[in-house]
Amino acid sequence: MNAPFPDAFSKYRTVFAMSVQRELTYRASFLMDRARSVTILIAFYAFWSAIFQDRADFAGYTRAQMFTYVLGMNVLNALVFSDKTWEMIYEINTGKISSYLIRPISYIGACVSRDAADKLTQMLSAVIEVALAWWLLRVPLYAPRDPWTYAAFAAAALLAVALYFLMSYAVSSLAFWTAESGGPRFCFELFLAFASGGFFPLDVLPGLMRRTFESLPFASLLFFPLNVFLERLGPGDLARGFAVQVFWIVCSGFLVRALWRRGLRAYGSEGG
Amino acid sequence: MNAIQTRGLCKDYQVPVKRPGLMGAFRHFLDGRTRTVRAVRDVSFDIGKGELVGFLGPNGAGKTTTLKMLSGLLYPTSGEVTVLGRVPSKRENDFLRRFSMVMGQRTQLWWDLPARETFTLNQKIYSIPEREFARRRDEVIALLELEELVDRPVKKLSLGERMKAELACAILHEPEVLLLDEPTLGLDIVMQEKLRRFILDYQRRTQCTILLTSHNMDDVEELCQRVMVINDGQLLYDGSLEKIVRSYAPDKLVVLGAARKLEAGQLSPYGEIVSLDGTSAKLLVPRQKVSQAVGEILSRLPIVDLAVEEMPVDHIIRKVFLKAASSGSGAAGRGLLEEEDGEERKEKDLHERSVP
Repeated sequence: MNAPFPDAFSKYRTVFAMSVQRELTYRASFLMDRARSVTILIAFYAFWSAIFQDRADFAGYTRAQMFTYVLGMNVLNALVFSDKTWEMIYEINTGKISSYLIRPISYIGACVSRDAADKLTQMLSAVIEVALAWWLLRVPLYAPRDPWTYAAFAAAALLAVALYFLMSYAVSSLAFWTAESGGPRFCFELFLAFASGGFFPLDVLPGLMRRTFESLPFASLLFFPLNVFLERLGPGDLARGFAVQVFWIVCSGFLVRALWRRGLRAYGSEGG
Repeated sequence: MNAIQTRGLCKDYQVPVKRPGLMGAFRHFLDGRTRTVRAVRDVSFDIGKGELVGFLGPNGAGKTTTLKMLSGLLYPTSGEVTVLGRVPSKRENDFLRRFSMVMGQRTQLWWDLPARETFTLNQKIYSIPEREFARRRDEVIALLELEELVDRPVKKLSLGERMKAELACAILHEPEVLLLDEPTLGLDIVMQEKLRRFILDYQRRTQCTILLTSHNMDDVEELCQRVMVINDGQLLYDGSLEKIVRSYAPDKLVVLGAARKLEAGQLSPYGEIVSLDGTSAKLLVPRQKVSQAVGEILSRLPIVDLAVEEMPVDHIIRKVFLKAASSGSGAAGRGLLEEEDGEERKEKDLHERSVP
C-alpha cells in the first residue's frame, strides 16, 4: 500500500535537509564559488557603467533596466543554474547510483531535493551580494509598476528552473553510455551561459541569432524571465515566451524519461 | 517457496578492445571496437526462504555480476531471475522494500555526514514507524558497537567501521532477502567474529534469506551450510560446505614459530612442509590428525607461536576448478555426487546443479 501523501515526500524532505547540511560542510568551496559570482558581477558592473557613461539607453534598455538585468542575472543564475546533476555523472561512472536504485526512492526525486538544497544556499548568498552591491554602488534599479509582473516573473523563473533541471539531467544521463560525459556537460554549461543571456541581454545579438535562441530553450532560462521582470514584453511576446518554456519542458521531460529507461538497461554498475 | 530463483541466467558485457600504449589509445579512439565477454553463463539455482548461502569464486568469476542481477541493478542478457516472486529489474517498490544489499566498495552512507543521518533517511525511505525505528536503530548500534561512530562523519571512519555502519543501515527495515558482498572486508579479527555472530543471530531471529560472497573462509565456514562455487561465469558446485571442504581441503595449515632454527627432518613426520624459513614454518596436516600433531609438535619442538588455519578459500576453489577442468566443465559437483550415500544424494537432488 502506498504511504499517505505527507509520508511519501518525507524521504525527499530528508534528502533536502541532509543536502543543506552537506553544503554547509564545504564552506571554503561555497565561498569560492560565490567569490567567482561576485567577480563576474563587478566586471559586468564596470562594463555597463562604461557603456552608459555618455548615453541614457542601450539596445532598448534604460540604465536602471540594464543594471537590474545584471544584478537580477546574478540572482537568477543562482536560482536556475545551481544544480547537483554533475554528481549524477560521478554516481553513474563510479556505480554509486546503485545505492539509490536498490532502495524505494526515485533517483530523479532525490536529485530534485539535492538541487533544491544547492539553490537555497546559493540564492541566499546571491541575494545578500546583490543587496550589498545595490547599497554600496548605489546602482539604479528598475521596479515593476504592475503587481502582476511579479507573479508572471515568479512563474517564468520556476519554469526556467524546471527546464534547466530537465536539460542538465538529460545531458548528465549520457554517463550511462560513456565515461566521458563530463566534457559535453562542460560545453553545454558554457554555451548555455552565453545563449541564455547570462553574459549580456540577447538584444545585442544579430536578429536571426536572437530569434533562434528565443525559439530554442536557451533564452527561456534567463533572458525571458528577466525581460518579464523588466516589463519589456507585450502580451503576445509574454504568451509566446511561456509557450516556448512549456513546449521545451514537455520535450525535455520525454527525453529524460526515454534516456533514463534506456540508460538503466545500459548501466554497468561499475566499481565493485 | 523459493526466495531466490534463477534459470539459465546469462550476462554479456561489451568490453573495449584497446591495444596497450598511446597509439593503442588513439586507435581505439578512432575505431571504438568492443568485444563481447560472457560474465555469467547459464546459471540456475534455487534458494529457499530462510537459507544462508555462501557464494564463492575468485575475482572476476561472476559472483558480483550475479548479485547485481539479483538486486535488479543489471538486466540479464538471457535467462530468468525472480527474488521474492518478483523480477528484480522491474524495481517494484514492493520488492525494493523487502530486500537489501551491502556491497563492499559501494556505500549508501552519506560520505560527509554522520551515519545516523543516513539511518534517518532510510527510516523515511522504508516508512519505518518512529518507535520501531528507534528500537531497531538502538539495537543494531549496541550489537555492532557503533555508539562512538554513528555521530562521526562517515569519511572519518575506517573501512571496517564503515562496513559495520553500512550493514546496520541496510538491515534497519528488516529485509526478507539480504545480499552481502564481502561483509567482513577490512575488519579486524575480533570484529569479524562479532559481525559473523551478528549476521547469524539476525538471520535466526528474522529468518531472512542471505546470500553472501566472501574470500574469508571463516565467514563461509561459520555462517553457511550451503555454498555455491562459480568460476568463469559457470556454476561449478552447489551443495553442502562440509562436503566441499572434506573433499577438496582435507588438510589444515599449521603455522609455527620456534625459539630455535627448525629442521625439515623434525617437521616431516607431522605433515607436508609448505615453507621452512629458519625459525618459522608452515605445514599441511590432514584435518583428522591436527590435534594429535599439534600436541606432539608442542611437546617435542621449541615452539613459541602456533596457529592452525583453514586452507584459503581460493585454494579450495582452485582445486574444484582443477577437477572441473580435468573432467569437463562443471563436473566437480558430479564428482562429489559419486561419493555420497542415499541421504546425501537426496539433499543434492534438492540443491545441487552442475552446469554442463
